Amino acid sequence: MRAGPMALTLLALAGCNQGGTGYVELKTVPVSAKVPPLFLDADRVDAKAGVTLLRQAVGTAKLQAEGADGKVLLCHVVVKKNRITTVTLSPMERPPRCQCERASGGEGAASRTCIG
Amino acid sequence: MGHGSIAIPRRYLIAALLTLVLLSAAALLAAQPSAAQADPKQGASPDVQFSQQLDELKKSFSDVGRQIDESAKSIDTIKSPEEGRKSIEELRGQVAKLLDAVADNGEISRLGGKALALAEEKLKSLDRETRFKPEEKQYLLNRWRELRAATETAIRDLDGARKDFADLLRSLQTSEDYIDELMQIREHEKALQVIHQLSEGIRDASTKLKKLLGSIKPPGV
Repeated sequence: MRAGPMALTLLALAGCNQGGTGYVELKTVPVSAKVPPLFLDADRVDAKAGVTLLRQAVGTAKLQAEGADGKVLLCHVVVKKNRITTVTLSPMERPPRCQCERASGGEGAASRTCIG
Repeated sequence: MGHGSIAIPRRYLIAALLTLVLLSAAALLAAQPSAAQADPKQGASPDVQFSQQLDELKKSFSDVGRQIDESAKSIDTIKSPEEGRKSIEELRGQVAKLLDAVADNGEISRLGGKALALAEEKLKSLDRETRFKPEEKQYLLNRWRELRAATETAIRDLDGARKDFADLLRSLQTSEDYIDELMQIREHEKALQVIHQLSEGIRDASTKLKKLLGSIKPPGV
């Protein structure tokens, strides 16, 4: 039986193709609003006023804002290979609210998920 | 091992593990720049590194631009939605190469910010400088002002490029999603129309890319 090693090799190759990168586009509304320190998973995001485009590993990332009481989860962001996931932030709200161009999940920050 | 589980012969496992190790090593080697590539930039100031990176970016963009031109030509001749979807996926890969280079958290953007901060710092410190004759100090100030202005222009060009490439990628992914929806309701003819209409947007992006390649100037060059 030669199918065994072949199947395992294909599985190994499939594992290698799981990676890649996509993009997260953060839009702040209004543009003049001061953006609090943001984190995409563990990485600090230097969000600009207006639009910030970030390269991000494929997968689901947590978008968090740093407030007086520590980090607050704003939403989850699903990043797909070579695709853009757009998230609009309203920094005037406390905590800032995520609006997804395309969403799945519920209304609460813990379940709100932006998809690309 | 309990009943019902699949027993995998040891030699198969060893073969698979070896494959995995070799593939991981290859991926690591591909991800790391060679020492010869990395050396010239080591120790260089941010403004010099920024200029070098912009130079390299222009070269790589011109290659990607050629590929995008070819895709625009071939998309006109596509005969089936499946073929079209494959082409769009490949195009997304090409546009992603451009976006990778100009992303806000990418190397060039970071270097641009550092180069600008260096120019600002230099101008402040030269202003306080007392060692040089007034005309020497003025000369240095003028040169750093020119460098700062050129850096700001390059950063603005990169901002514009980022927006254009992001718009193109978004348009490609939206079209791809629309084609998917059309395929689900077996509207193959309509899907083909959407694919053919894309070539106009791709040509427009290619023109913008050529304009960028012509206008972008590494500061200090």
